[in-house]
Amino acid sequence: MSSSISLIPALESLVYSLVPASINDEPLKNELVGHCQEILTSRIGQSHEPDIGHLADLVKRQLLQSSPSGTTALKFTNLLSRLLDQPVLSKKHASIQFLQSLASSRQPSSSIPFLPSLAPPPPPRSSPLASPLEKPPVPLQPSGKSKAERLREYREQSGRPHLPEHLLLRDTLYLLQGISGKYVRLPSQSDGNQLEFMDNARYVISTPTKALIYRLSEVGYLYSRVDAFVRKREESSGVGMIEQSLCHHLQIKLTEYYRLIAVLESQMPPVETSGEGSVANLREQETGLTLRRLDVWINEWRLRMRMMSVCVEGARESQGGALVNLIHSYTDNGDPFIRKFTDQLLEEVSKPFFSTLHKWLFSGELYDPFNEFFVAMDPSLAHVQYMHPSSLTGNINQLAGDSFISPDQDDPRDRRGGLTIWQAKYRFQQDMLPMFVGEAFGRKILSTGKSLNFIRYSCHDSDWVVTREKMSNTGGSLKYSDISGLERSIDAAYSTASQRLFDVFIEKFKLLDHLSALKNYMMLGHGDFADQLMNALGSSLTRPANTLYRHNLTATLETAIRSSNAQSDPPDVLRRLDARMLEYSHGEIGWDVFTLEYKVDAPIDTVIHPDAMFKYLKLFNHLWQMKRIEGTLSRGWMRVAGGARTTFLRLPDLEPSWHGIRITMAEMIHFVKQVQAYCQLEVIECSWKVLVEFLNKREGDLDAMIDAHRTYLDRLVKKVLLLSPKAGREENVMHQVKGLFVTVLQFQDAVENFYNFCLTESTRRDQKLDSDRGLYTGPQDPNSSLDENLPRLLQPVNDYGSQFSEKVQSLVAALQTHPDLDCRFLGVRLNFSDYYRGKQQKEKEKERAETATPK
Amino acid sequence: MPLQESDRIASAQQTLDILYEMSQLLNTQLDKETLTTCVRMIESGVNPEALAVVIQELRRENIALAGRASAVSLR
Repeated sequence: MSSSISLIPALESLVYSLVPASINDEPLKNELVGHCQEILTSRIGQSHEPDIGHLADLVKRQLLQSSPSGTTALKFTNLLSRLLDQPVLSKKHASIQFLQSLASSRQPSSSIPFLPSLAPPPPPRSSPLASPLEKPPVPLQPSGKSKAERLREYREQSGRPHLPEHLLLRDTLYLLQGISGKYVRLPSQSDGNQLEFMDNARYVISTPTKALIYRLSEVGYLYSRVDAFVRKREESSGVGMIEQSLCHHLQIKLTEYYRLIAVLESQMPPVETSGEGSVANLREQETGLTLRRLDVWINEWRLRMRMMSVCVEGARESQGGALVNLIHSYTDNGDPFIRKFTDQLLEEVSKPFFSTLHKWLFSGELYDPFNEFFVAMDPSLAHVQYMHPSSLTGNINQLAGDSFISPDQDDPRDRRGGLTIWQAKYRFQQDMLPMFVGEAFGRKILSTGKSLNFIRYSCHDSDWVVTREKMSNTGGSLKYSDISGLERSIDAAYSTASQRLFDVFIEKFKLLDHLSALKNYMMLGHGDFADQLMNALGSSLTRPANTLYRHNLTATLETAIRSSNAQSDPPDVLRRLDARMLEYSHGEIGWDVFTLEYKVDAPIDTVIHPDAMFKYLKLFNHLWQMKRIEGTLSRGWMRVAGGARTTFLRLPDLEPSWHGIRITMAEMIHFVKQVQAYCQLEVIECSWKVLVEFLNKREGDLDAMIDAHRTYLDRLVKKVLLLSPKAGREENVMHQVKGLFVTVLQFQDAVENFYNFCLTESTRRDQKLDSDRGLYTGPQDPNSSLDENLPRLLQPVNDYGSQFSEKVQSLVAALQTHPDLDCRFLGVRLNFSDYYRGKQQKEKEKERAETATPK
Repeated sequence: MPLQESDRIASAQQTLDILYEMSQLLNTQLDKETLTTCVRMIESGVNPEALAVVIQELRRENIALAGRASAVSLR
């Protein structure tokens, strides 16, 4: 160093002025100058960048410490600005630093009376590394020796000083990044969760410091977990979108964390080698990083890391909506910091969820490659579409001919009802539903998407959906932070989709027409048609079932339609009407197996599904029986009533029998009429009214429509068939009614026989009269005698008549205890003016009288 | 030239004054003369922190000497 030579005079003058004793002491002066030169050529403080602003800050802080009023600091600022204006000095920064070093080095021993607690305690680290020059003065300042200092000295002497803090600091920064340091190591896999402190014979790490490092290392541990998770997910494929989004967010947070670590590292005091002066050390302590400062800095991150780690833990077990749920469960927190963090996280994480939701809600498409949405598609139904119903092409007339065959020829594998598709194609997954949506809204969302999907693929109305989708795109996107907006859009989408679905069903697919056709034909609402059909078919239905042919039946059906008002119904309805026979066994006759059928196809079969169709068939069967009884009775009545005026005048002795028959028949007619009126007016029409009202209101979705129809049909079945809810005895009453029908038919047969006999008898009497007058009318039939045949013929008539009466009586009794009010009312009507009870009482009285007379 | 020279001297004087004031503020206990020497040394390229150490060392030395002297005199 050449400049050192030129420095000697200056140094000499310094020595002279500061150590006056040296003026007279040549060797002392030389020693001091030499020593000073040594110091100057050493490397103290060479690592600093000239930064006057930083320096000024340090000085001001120092000044504020010594005089908190701030006047000195202000003064210093003034002086500094004035100094900066001066052109003379080239190294103002250096000068100020010189002053500052000098000043700060004086702080600890400064004469200003600090409170002892406020004075920064001398750092333990300075001792072991203190320069040899520092040692001699120590014993000379006995007043500045605190207990801590004595302890430190003791340790020093015993050869186990504390590990310098800056080394620990460096290690801790490593720990924060999940890396083992030199003195503090992360636990290896095998030995538990304890940090390993590598304190050796030379250095000791004090217990408080260890505790502090433990606290800090928690962040490092959490960091390494989060980091490992993110890395693992990045590498593996098939990770759900929500999880990917979570990883992305975590990665951003980690990058922030890296930034913090980098800043902290730049604040760390430079790695000092031993043998350095305490000045720099002391200064660094004022400005640089310490373990405690690190703790403060990292404190916020500790919380954040904990949250992240919890999310990561949750992500291991759950995915998709469940994961969103998990995160959402942390938003209900009183701590605004946690709330903000989770809100942010959720906003980020729920983005893919909302994009899926948007697609589902506005276009009815489920785009969910990782099964994360709370609506899941049944994979087996994914490709099933409706068969293209021929009616949709509009060519009704052309297809009217072959329409009767089509459904039977379909491959049964592909024949999935619309209802199956509607109900099973998309499933609701409760655990995937984010809580902030709520279950009611979740159901609405499911229904909306389903409706759109249905309109699009099953009703072939994709144009409308596409238009809607375009419109919805202008409405802004769905976001977690805008839950109320989300609910609004869900509501809007739901009502629009449902409305549209209703429109499509009612206007395009004429649901109402089909329903009323079912009512008119299957439930014999068209009375004239039913009568025509009965007349046309009656004779052939009495034949054995195996002699009936379907083409005959369908032809008869055609005739019945043409000859009744039914011909004015739309052809689309009529072509679906079909007559066929149920599977028959040996011995059954036409009446048992004949049935009308009404065919519906997609997408109407979503509402009128096969199960419902089966119920319709059951209803038809019952009502058709009733119609048959009614027809039989009215024919019989006509004969009996007409015969009274013509045939029977000649048989006055049989008049009382006929009178009895007429009374019984009137009772039967009353019964059938009441039951029919009950079915048609009180059950069918009332239920129909409810259904139509619902359909006109157009509220709810397809599910509601299906439900309404189901309720309607169930009510019909229950009331028409007089089913009772009692388990095991549901059909008791119905069997009674059927038994009554059979009795009526048997009675009718017996009456027929008796009528025929009467005809024969009157003819015989005519002949007898003629022969009495001398006219020959052919050979006499001696066998036929009134007296011997009459009981044989009248017996069954009377038997069946009283049997009927008894059966009605027990039916009425059963109906009176029926749980259904309408059925009970039917009982009242059958038992008008207590007819049957009166009869019962009369019989009882008679019995009583009979038992009384012998006495 | 002379005018400029006098200007220079004046401003140098001012600078020194300012620095002195600062040093007083910071309680460095340097007199004006020593400060001038130090500033000159710094201007010529001496490391300020090292210089500060030097000053401290010298002071300490001085106190030690004085102590020894007083001890001697007391004895």
